[in-house]
Amino acid sequence: MRNWRLFGRFLAKLVPLMEDIRQTGCVTFAVSEARDGMKVVPSRSSEWVRPVTSQKPASAIIEIDRVSQVFQTSARREHLALSDISLTIEEGAFVSILGPSGCGKSTLLYIVGGFVSPTSGAVRMKGQTITGSGPDRGPVFQEFALFPWKTVLGNVMYGPRQQGVRANEAEAQSRALIEMVGLKGYENFYPKELSGGMKQRVALARTLAYHPEVLLMDEPFGALDAHTRTRLQNDLLNIWERDRKTVLFVTHSVDEAVFLSDKVVMMSKSPGRIREVIDIDLPRPRRRNELLLDPRYQKYVVDIERMFDESDEAGSLS
Amino acid sequence: MMSPSAVTKRAAPVLACIGLLAVWQVASLALKNDSFPTAIEAIRAIPDILGDKESLINILASLRRMTIGFGIAVLVSIPLGLLMGRSRAVAAFFNPLLMVIYPVPKAALMPIVMLWLGVGDITKTLVIFLGVSLPVIYHSFEGAKAVEEKMLWSGAAMGLSPLQRLVRIVLPAALPEILTGCRTGLVLALITMITSEMIARQSGAGNILFNALDMGQYDTVYAMIIIVGAMGICLDAVFERVRARLVRWSEPQFDMPLSFS
Repeated sequence: MRNWRLFGRFLAKLVPLMEDIRQTGCVTFAVSEARDGMKVVPSRSSEWVRPVTSQKPASAIIEIDRVSQVFQTSARREHLALSDISLTIEEGAFVSILGPSGCGKSTLLYIVGGFVSPTSGAVRMKGQTITGSGPDRGPVFQEFALFPWKTVLGNVMYGPRQQGVRANEAEAQSRALIEMVGLKGYENFYPKELSGGMKQRVALARTLAYHPEVLLMDEPFGALDAHTRTRLQNDLLNIWERDRKTVLFVTHSVDEAVFLSDKVVMMSKSPGRIREVIDIDLPRPRRRNELLLDPRYQKYVVDIERMFDESDEAGSLS
Repeated sequence: MMSPSAVTKRAAPVLACIGLLAVWQVASLALKNDSFPTAIEAIRAIPDILGDKESLINILASLRRMTIGFGIAVLVSIPLGLLMGRSRAVAAFFNPLLMVIYPVPKAALMPIVMLWLGVGDITKTLVIFLGVSLPVIYHSFEGAKAVEEKMLWSGAAMGLSPLQRLVRIVLPAALPEILTGCRTGLVLALITMITSEMIARQSGAGNILFNALDMGQYDTVYAMIIIVGAMGICLDAVFERVRARLVRWSEPQFDMPLSFS
């Protein structure tokens, strides 16, 4: 009897939750760890958790080693934003960190960037412990963070100039990059004259200009409308296919994570933990119109969404 | 060709001035008071003042003090305000000091400063410096505080040191706000300039005004008021030109053609 009732409640909650995730990409329920042995293990987990299947032996470029982050929210309260995160990112991999708002996924990215110091644990880049930011890790933020007093060209040239590249050389490289991100003709525009999508293209070009080994993308398309978002995803993939830089990509959109990534790291919140690491075994180069019809793609999306639902369900029932 | 609305916009300040002078003229004619000359009498007195070598030297001396006081204030206040905006420790140290000085009319400090430094240029320049500093510090502080963290992170990732970030990111990003402070500071510099010369009467535009008042030359008094007002308008207009040029890149904002702050 009790089981049936539970199942009924489960179904009742599942429908609005699915809508939630589809629309906002985030889960409005508090996720907490399953207790009393009620941990929900997704029945088909074995089907999508596969061993790494890349041909060449991948070498680790970033190692996140038992990182925890505690924020002081008020005089006496502390919030455990990240709890004991360990993750290895291989060179040339496109890795997405996927999770609900407030799961600490952006904080994790800032720690890798060296903008925030972890409370405990360490991050290593090529074996070297990260103590601060550096041009080997280039961030792209949701807020664009362009320099508004510089033109598009000035923004893109800023990094190379800072690195000591000569002006005419930096300009030539920057012009090429601006063309690559599809903004040829906008070199002398100021950021305020550009739309959100264009600003993010400039931000991407600006970061690519100083040749970071790792791109750190913090919900870069989160502030854009659906159409622009899709176009930028496609363009990002095309650009990425050329040199296959290592990308760490934070998002709350399941579709986006699956479409772009080799590997999706699912996080749960309060405290932020890694729930699952899923290898996305889809062929590249990926084309949106083919992929959306591909049952394998659809299955990844549905399975990941279901996992989020189940974790919420486990949290709210226990 | 200008559109009709553009013509109105251009003509409006001129019309306002003419209107004011007309009201003045009518009021003066109606009151027939010796101490209230007509607008035309006052305007006629202007060439006499500007033609007089002594007066001209006085006015230029005033402007020199104002320029020096304003210049030093800006050079000191902008770095201090920016540091306060980016460092909680610096802000915690200076904030209480500024809070104490802020509401004090700077001219009220004149007697004390005069006791120490006399009635010469140094005293007057110092008072102008104090008058200009506070709005510039305040606006630089607010501007620096509002600079997006992510913008600084982007700079840090490119390899900018903390000092470079302050000079090359915080300063330009806060520039619109800083210049707003400077504009207020400029008007305050003019006001403090005149007040300081009223208190320490030795030379300057304020001195001419009060000497004329003592001698009952009311047309000169009013003429001086017009000259000081015109100087304010010119300085502000020139500064606004420079400001608009420097921050062309920032959001267009509604702005009065003249400042009355």
